[in-house]
Amino acid sequence: MSQSLESYLFISSALFAAGVYGMLARRNLVALLISLELILNSASLNFVAFNRFLLADKTAGQVFVVFIIALAAAEATIGLSLILLLYRKKHSINIEEAKELRG
Amino acid sequence: MALKFLWVIQLAPLAAFLGIQLLPAKLKKIAPGVAVPAALMAATAASWLFWSQIQTGGRDLPGEFSTPWLVWPGRALEVGFLMDRLNLLMIWLVTVISFFVQLFSVYYMDEDPSRARYFGFLSFFAFSMTGLVLSNNLLQTFIFWELVGLTSYLLIGFWIEKPSAATAARKAFVINRLGDLGFYLGVILLFLLFGTLNFRHLTTESLAQALPPRTLTMLGLLVFTGVMGKSAQFPFHNWLPDAMEGPTPVSALIHSATMVAAGVFLLARAFGLFGASAFTLSVILTVGFLTAFVGAALATIQFDIKKILAYSTISQLGLMVMAIGAGSSLAGMFHLSTHAFFKSLLFLTAGVFIHRTHTNDIDAIAEKGGRRDVLAVAMLVTGLASLCGLPPFAGFFSKDMVLETLKERSFLFYSGALFVSFLTVYYSCRLLFVVLFSEAGHPRPTTHDSRLLNFSRAVPLVSLGAISVVMGLLGSPLNAGLLEWLGGPAEVHFNASLFLVTLGLLAGGGGLAYFRFRNPAGALQAEKEGQGLLLTALRRKFFVDEAYDFLVKKVALAAGALFDAFDRKVINGWMVNGTSYNILKFGRLASKLQSGLLQDYLSLAFLAGIVIVFFVVL
Repeated sequence: MSQSLESYLFISSALFAAGVYGMLARRNLVALLISLELILNSASLNFVAFNRFLLADKTAGQVFVVFIIALAAAEATIGLSLILLLYRKKHSINIEEAKELRG
Repeated sequence: MALKFLWVIQLAPLAAFLGIQLLPAKLKKIAPGVAVPAALMAATAASWLFWSQIQTGGRDLPGEFSTPWLVWPGRALEVGFLMDRLNLLMIWLVTVISFFVQLFSVYYMDEDPSRARYFGFLSFFAFSMTGLVLSNNLLQTFIFWELVGLTSYLLIGFWIEKPSAATAARKAFVINRLGDLGFYLGVILLFLLFGTLNFRHLTTESLAQALPPRTLTMLGLLVFTGVMGKSAQFPFHNWLPDAMEGPTPVSALIHSATMVAAGVFLLARAFGLFGASAFTLSVILTVGFLTAFVGAALATIQFDIKKILAYSTISQLGLMVMAIGAGSSLAGMFHLSTHAFFKSLLFLTAGVFIHRTHTNDIDAIAEKGGRRDVLAVAMLVTGLASLCGLPPFAGFFSKDMVLETLKERSFLFYSGALFVSFLTVYYSCRLLFVVLFSEAGHPRPTTHDSRLLNFSRAVPLVSLGAISVVMGLLGSPLNAGLLEWLGGPAEVHFNASLFLVTLGLLAGGGGLAYFRFRNPAGALQAEKEGQGLLLTALRRKFFVDEAYDFLVKKVALAAGALFDAFDRKVINGWMVNGTSYNILKFGRLASKLQSGLLQDYLSLAFLAGIVIVFFVVL
């Protein structure tokens, strides 16, 4: 397959699907966080791909990607600290242990 | 000029009331020294005013002082004085009787420690009553009407330590409010529909032009409800006998001469309103007859001298109301004037007996030597003769005029009134014979013989006795000055057939009473223990109190229970609690959606996202 927009989009969708699958299927909170990163990365890939093939200005998409990376880092910090707190409380990072809000 | 005197008449008693309230505790015992001169001042001013107007033939009348109080576009409430022939007579009567009663109270309340309160209330009553009489519009009348009701309540319950007095005061207050509710509604409606409450505008012609007949009937009946309460008309009459719990001079002033007559005065004052509807007048006539009959019948069986007089007052008020219902406010006002004097005289006489013998029972009064007080017995005879209608005492002329009016109106009510007169003669003679013919012991020596007290006892009795003789002569064939003053005929014709009927009633009633009470002890015993149907009905006061009890305790409570159940079951149970219960149930159902598992929410959000994208994009 030659370098074309479709191939990038294909990889990006695969990444997104893997991320969603991970989000829905895994019970480990760290795995959930990793799946989230996959989704974010698929979005970043979309940005640069569309930027490369469709836009004249080559910087806009890349700026966005930088933003997304920064955001993901911040989000990972908060997520990991929440996981740490949960672990201190429950001695487990299984998502099924945290269901106090059940109706 | 003349109107300036109205300020004196109106404000002197109020000043006395305020002055007594401001007296320091040490000086409270001089309260009579404040109240009596103020009452004398008002009485003098009123007498002078009355006399000067008679001299000039009422040239300045009607005089009005009026100032707007609340103003709307197109209509205004006003306050003011209206002085005309009718209320000039009434104001004279009220202030004069008020003065004599206050003077008598100096004697009667001599030993009472809280007589400052007593004289303060009496002065306040005089203020309210003059205000009622002088008002130029119905709303102001209503305000003072409530104030006299309040003073009546305060004075009935004057001996606050007596539970029976407190109960009687409450009863009087509640029943009067019941009537006043109708009065107030009537006043409001009249103002809304007619636009003015001034008595000068409340004429039959202008009312009939402005309002349809049915509305007029309704307004008349509503205002008459207030009259029924205040003037103790059947079935609101039962507070008046209980009101005798108050001091006797209070009964003389408020509960026989002036306040209870205020209802009759209002009927005459706003006659245009009542006279505008024939139906209202026939209701007034019927209620008056029922009252006259019930009062007279119940008076025949009482043993308490004040209760006899109270029922007699009810009966005489009924007669006045009948006269007005028959269309003659002249006869009603004439009887009111004579009755005010001879009935207050009778009450003061009763006060002398009670003060001497410390009992209200007629046989006990007789037993303790009541008849040895010559002055009191003489005044009792004068008053009772007037009450029975013995010529030439005052009651004869006024009652004959009422009877004549009724004869022209309807034979049925005329014969009813004759029967009432017969009963009146009977119970009057019963009272007199019991006092005169019983075995009498010697009265205990009186503790106070000071000249001041003797003066304050004798002067009111003699003056009221004299006035109650002269008053009647002013409406007799000899001289009809009083009637002419009130706008009646200049001379009265001697009615021979009615004269004979009256004599027959006197002979019949007196003979029956003499036959039964030659030997009072046995007859009274028989009345107390008799078992007959009539006796029982009379003793139980025609079951009116029982009917009220039934209404309040059974009917009103049952209705209350019904409303309570409705409130608890329907409003609270079904509407309020039901709503919240159902919302709660729905919430529980909805909360089943919340599994608490993060990934369930995620899948839901994901699915929802897909659905949204599907619908939005495609």
